[in-house]
Amino acid sequence: MQQTLRDTATETPAATAIARWLGEQMSASDVRVTRYERLPGGAIQDNFLLDVDIAKGPWRGSHGFVLRTDAPSNIAASLTRAQEFAVLNVAHAAGVATPKPLFLCRDRAVIGREFFVMERLPGIAPGHRLTREAELVPDPDALAHALGVNLARIHAIRPPVVALDELAPPAADPALAAIADYRAYLDRLDDAYPALEWGLRWCERHAPSASTITLIHRDYRTGNYLVEGGRLAGVLDWEFAGWGDPREDLGWFTARCWRFAAVDREAGGIASSDPFLAGYESIAGWRISRSELDYWQLMAHLRWAVIALQQAQRHLVGGERSLELALTGRIVHELEYEALQLTARSPA
Amino acid sequence: MRDISDAADLMTTAREALLSELLPALPKDRRYVGLMIANVMAIAAREHRLGFDAAQSEAARLRNLLEEQHDSRTAAAGSVSPADLPALRAAARTAIRAGVFDSPPRAAALGAALLHTAADWVAISNPKALRGDPDAARR
Repeated sequence: MQQTLRDTATETPAATAIARWLGEQMSASDVRVTRYERLPGGAIQDNFLLDVDIAKGPWRGSHGFVLRTDAPSNIAASLTRAQEFAVLNVAHAAGVATPKPLFLCRDRAVIGREFFVMERLPGIAPGHRLTREAELVPDPDALAHALGVNLARIHAIRPPVVALDELAPPAADPALAAIADYRAYLDRLDDAYPALEWGLRWCERHAPSASTITLIHRDYRTGNYLVEGGRLAGVLDWEFAGWGDPREDLGWFTARCWRFAAVDREAGGIASSDPFLAGYESIAGWRISRSELDYWQLMAHLRWAVIALQQAQRHLVGGERSLELALTGRIVHELEYEALQLTARSPA
Repeated sequence: MRDISDAADLMTTAREALLSELLPALPKDRRYVGLMIANVMAIAAREHRLGFDAAQSEAARLRNLLEEQHDSRTAAAGSVSPADLPALRAAARTAIRAGVFDSPPRAAALGAALLHTAADWVAISNPKALRGDPDAARR
């Protein structure tokens, strides 16, 4: 008896368990999983495409969902799925373009891990495509503007928020706290990284004055949002979100390391920074200065370098042998190089 | 010219075979892995050619910088080798955190040396990311 791979995937114990669990959440007696496949990407989270048909009840019809759960190992700084679900709920309610979160499952008996289900948005995310294929982004300035508006909506969420009380409390000085974290991580490695050390020292000596603490996404960049018909459909991958300095997100989004095929377009390889910052200012009421943006772009390179080292460690000593993780570790050289360009731009 | 292939040539030749003969035959969803393997092979070949010199130059630059810091422990005479790199990098970390390079002239010297070193390693890991003359980029 022959079965196609697709049929098999919808009849695995996991798919069956998910169908039963979804039925309880939706008050639907008959939930049929028509497609259940792992989505590519996601070194830290596992995402599955999940299509269901529902015969009766308030959810009657066909639905396209994404099921999001933990990868076998994840980075210490990332949120639990329950925390991420709470952040998504708050952000979605605040008008941020993001997939609508639907159901959270904390019961590990269902598929062995916590997970949540969210609506599946249409669109294209890969940064190398969005920055190279002009037909995907016919009006780059408009997209950059929308990304600025959307980021400002995230930053309009301020503590305290009862629904987010499981998030770590904000650091008194987010920049210095980040520097201390990165140094603590570097101290756990066998080798020392003088270029990263120099960047961190520079950031320590030029630490900015305090800013308002807001919700920040911490991975708001090209590659982590969907573009459909040239427009922003939604922001993905909230696993690093938390309370912090909103300038950190602005630096991360515009950092050279996240411009993919278009390093000359500062706003994520999409457009110049002007429309992006103008969109941000139209909601936030303030605009980051050039020197602040330089500072947080430098911090972005240092943070990405620390994450790249963590990925390399997962491969080398963490028991997750992986070509992709090994290659990510080699990005450290480029990030050191870019960080040094940025420290050289400003006087010591 | 060597008489037989060295590691770098073997790696380069194998990569060419991968790209021209295997990659076109791979199903679409395996293409990405094929490209990652090709990338890794290119890095390994470049590291075989350039890695020793990069490590040697980095060690020499770090020792010069640290010697300037009136520190007799690092002022030992003689040549440096890549084997000295872990100790030199660790000493640089300690000095940087202690503020030894904070003054403008020392900061400039350290920044320039680290940028040269970073450029050497980028030339191995991803030469496309180089921006030409590192000194020009500083101006």
